[in-house]
Amino acid sequence: MSSRKKFRIQTKNLKIATLSAILPFFFFCIAFELLPIAVLIKDSFYNSSGVLSLSNYRGLFQKVYLSSFWNSIRLSAITALFGTIIGTFVGYSILRIQSKRIRALFEALSNVTTNFAGAPLAFAFIIILGANGVVTLLFAQILNLNLYPDFQIYSYAGLVVAYTYFQLPLMILLIIPSFTGLRSEWREAAVSMGASTWQYWRYIGFPLLTPSLVAGLVLLFANAYGAYATAYTLVGSKLMLVTTQIAFVITGEVLHDPALAKAMATVSLVIMAFCIFIYRITISKARGWDK
Amino acid sequence: MKTEYPARYIILILFGLYMLIPILATYLFSVAVRWDRSILPEGYTLEWYVKTIHHPYFIVTLKNSFFLAFYTVLLNIVLIVPAAYIAHTQLPSAKLPMDILTILPFGIPRVILALSLITVYTFPVISRSPFLLVCACTIFSMPYMYRPVSNSLEAIDLRTLNDAAQLQGASNIQILFYIIGPNIMNGIISGCLLVFSAIFAEYTLARLITGARYKTLPVLLVEFTRRDGRIASAISVFAFTVALILSLAIILIARKDRVSTVVKH
Repeated sequence: MSSRKKFRIQTKNLKIATLSAILPFFFFCIAFELLPIAVLIKDSFYNSSGVLSLSNYRGLFQKVYLSSFWNSIRLSAITALFGTIIGTFVGYSILRIQSKRIRALFEALSNVTTNFAGAPLAFAFIIILGANGVVTLLFAQILNLNLYPDFQIYSYAGLVVAYTYFQLPLMILLIIPSFTGLRSEWREAAVSMGASTWQYWRYIGFPLLTPSLVAGLVLLFANAYGAYATAYTLVGSKLMLVTTQIAFVITGEVLHDPALAKAMATVSLVIMAFCIFIYRITISKARGWDK
Repeated sequence: MKTEYPARYIILILFGLYMLIPILATYLFSVAVRWDRSILPEGYTLEWYVKTIHHPYFIVTLKNSFFLAFYTVLLNIVLIVPAAYIAHTQLPSAKLPMDILTILPFGIPRVILALSLITVYTFPVISRSPFLLVCACTIFSMPYMYRPVSNSLEAIDLRTLNDAAQLQGASNIQILFYIIGPNIMNGIISGCLLVFSAIFAEYTLARLITGARYKTLPVLLVEFTRRDGRIASAISVFAFTVALILSLAIILIARKDRVSTVVKH
């Protein structure tokens, strides 16, 4: 009896301690994450005179906004695809390096370069691929290939080159554990039954990797879609992206209707939610056979 | 199998060049006298670094970036560590909402987070203040803190440690500080380093929330990419070197962690 009473007192004390430890976190998330996003979404459904309407969304069908969405989606899709395909091959090549030290070196390189993003990255590409950049000069002098004026770093093509740079390491870090999950016994079993390398990859390796590849693709897409600093530093207002347009509304550099920015943001959040949803499903599948 | 080797080496060499050339070029550009008409710089100098350090805004923005990262780390520790500990020990039902709340920021582009915060917090003092910026940075960086802490809580056998300590007559506070704390310290330190390096380099939130009122180093860097490339490269080198040191520290801690778990089993 007494021990039970003591236990009850203890749980009561624990409850107060528990709540005081955990509630600040939830309050903070509500105040600075959930509430602002909810208000933003709510605002997007009201017109300038405060009446519930879809006029902001209708406004998005103007050419400026449609092309912003088109540019953002196209850029994100292309660099996600590049990142996924190249990253998979590089990840596999890293994994098959015999020397432990060199493998660790490449893994560290992938790890460290995830920090080289945003403005420093954009600026680095201006240095090497600008009109007088060292790589531009090397191409001209050694390969006799003039990149300019057909190519421009301050353009869509320049963005593709720079975005692929920050997509690659992310994909490599994501795909390496999936490759390690492919057990060598499975390959040995396939080979002992007469499968060729191509057949092994076509019927066993690739299907097992598919969830990881899809997870990587949507993760990289979301990553590129939300990026702002690289694009702003490289192209500024020359090329319209969803993030740069929303930022222009905040900084007041280009005068758009703030309500339209909220509608743009809401549509973007739906796209992001879709990406995260696919990511969660595929990553749990990918990790499922991994364990 | 052996026939594949050349292709694999070519892939790795091209990858290495693609990843390293932009970084090395930035370092070289920052010490080059002039580098826009020759393959190699026309001479080397430290002039741009001297100019950068003497620029009146450099020290101010450096300080701002440092304090921003510092307070964000602090707020992260206060909010995440106790909550994650409770969720793992006494309130398992809080784990799922916590997981979701700390994953959500990955799905909210920073431009949109900034827009939503300045829409809601329009009243004076808070509106576009450094305080709001720290809160925004904390939301954005929570996943970096939560995941290592949560992983290290998962890795240790909390129940056994707890029971053993209670059997020896330890109080809850003692258990927290002497038993649990040291066991998840590596997770907390990794989290702190990840948050610090993410916020030290954070441009979007700083520019859109505080703008000219509280300029950080990355904001100054972007201004200089349009004005003076030499100073921009010096700031860039400085920022990346800080990030490089922090990420090497994280790799070392992770490796040490792996070794200690191997020994344990």
